[in-house]
Amino acid sequence: MVVVDYELRKKIMDAHIQDTLKYCYQCARCTDVCPVSKVTDQRYNPRPIIMNSFLGLNTFIGEKNNFSIWGCTVCDTCDEVCPQKIELTEIFTVLKNMSIAVGEGPDYYTTQASTIYDNGKAIPMQAAIERRRKDLGLPMVEPPNVEEVQKLLKATKLNIILKK
Amino acid sequence: MAKAEEYKMFEGCTIGNRIPFIEASARKVFDKLGIKTSEAPFACCPDPVGFNSTDHLSWLAMGARNLTIAESEAKNIVSLCNGCFQTLKAVNHELKHDEHEKEKINGILKTIGREFKGTIDVYHFVEVLYNLGLDKIKEALKIDLSGLKVACHTGCHYNRPSEIMQTDDPMNPVKLREIVAVTGATPVDYEEEMLCCGAGVGNTEEEPSMQILANKFNSAIKAGAEAFVVVCPACFQQMDTNQKKAEQLAGTSFGLPILYLTELLALAMGIKPDDIGVKFHRARLTSILEKLSIK
Repeated sequence: MVVVDYELRKKIMDAHIQDTLKYCYQCARCTDVCPVSKVTDQRYNPRPIIMNSFLGLNTFIGEKNNFSIWGCTVCDTCDEVCPQKIELTEIFTVLKNMSIAVGEGPDYYTTQASTIYDNGKAIPMQAAIERRRKDLGLPMVEPPNVEEVQKLLKATKLNIILKK
Repeated sequence: MAKAEEYKMFEGCTIGNRIPFIEASARKVFDKLGIKTSEAPFACCPDPVGFNSTDHLSWLAMGARNLTIAESEAKNIVSLCNGCFQTLKAVNHELKHDEHEKEKINGILKTIGREFKGTIDVYHFVEVLYNLGLDKIKEALKIDLSGLKVACHTGCHYNRPSEIMQTDDPMNPVKLREIVAVTGATPVDYEEEMLCCGAGVGNTEEEPSMQILANKFNSAIKAGAEAFVVVCPACFQQMDTNQKKAEQLAGTSFGLPILYLTELLALAMGIKPDDIGVKFHRARLTSILEKLSIK
């Protein structure tokens, strides 16, 4: 039985993606140019993501590492060629955010966000790199205000998503 | 003539904290060309692929916070990285053009005593070099790189989504090619020039990522390329650090040196390879340095 997920549909339509989504006529130009679709025999395929998210058919959430949304390499090529000017990548971002919010998605994403939360940087400075920078005649990287970053990310509730 | 503009340098986490030799070449090239920069305590941009996929609101807020740091000094930002560039430019664009979004983010920024005003601009270093002028770059060159064939790879976030980025043609970028050509090196035409390096999907699964990379390499080699020229540290790491993995998957040897545009320019300006740490490349530069008689 097909169940329409109205909440998913509302979230997609509420996202600031203007009103273009409903004009998708499934021409599959997005699939044509998708580099991941090409090398995975369409195991990842942008076209049905647009169709299903518009219809409210939730085929995206409920699986830890759902390749049908997490296979996107975020190259923004589909956005460029879409004849209806649908901002596909923004829709994919909404879906991925929903996936993360229920504790799914590849570990890479929450691990990186956690590192940023803890250090203010995706890659924390190391003593060896500091020495290398000095050897190369580079100035010190000014350290970010981590306390302020954490205060900000508490205000956006990222700490709850990351269970911090 | 107006006083030369000083930019806030945004080297980003990857270049600054992992592969600083890229920054060394960029700073030396900027010095030779009279491009002035200064530092600021920026946090992660944050990553438009990773962090934005995790939580869009946090991505906007963090990006806006970095912009307020540059705004407080009334200076534009120059980014050495496609990812940082896309994040900062896209956040800046969104908040400058969407009053509702700006109000929401400023409500969040208020908790740390900051306010986004929308008073500065964000540039990719390729734009800064290009706007300086090809003639000005040419004047600073000492070594002719004629005979060297390279594959140019701008990477995705340099110029897409084009409506926001406005850097170059989204599917046929010319600025990188034109700067490379000034050195005497020849940018080859290759079928997969617009193909992504594949780094993004690599966060989820390795094989498709390496397959995309192998396809890119094969296409460039077919067109006679002896090296790649890139302008993004994520592409750089994917192509340099992961080249061996792509070779294993493809069952062949590519052996392609990956040069950052600023490294190519530094070499053409007569800066010694040792002074910009080319020894830190995984794919050795030996073949091209010998060909060009650069020591």
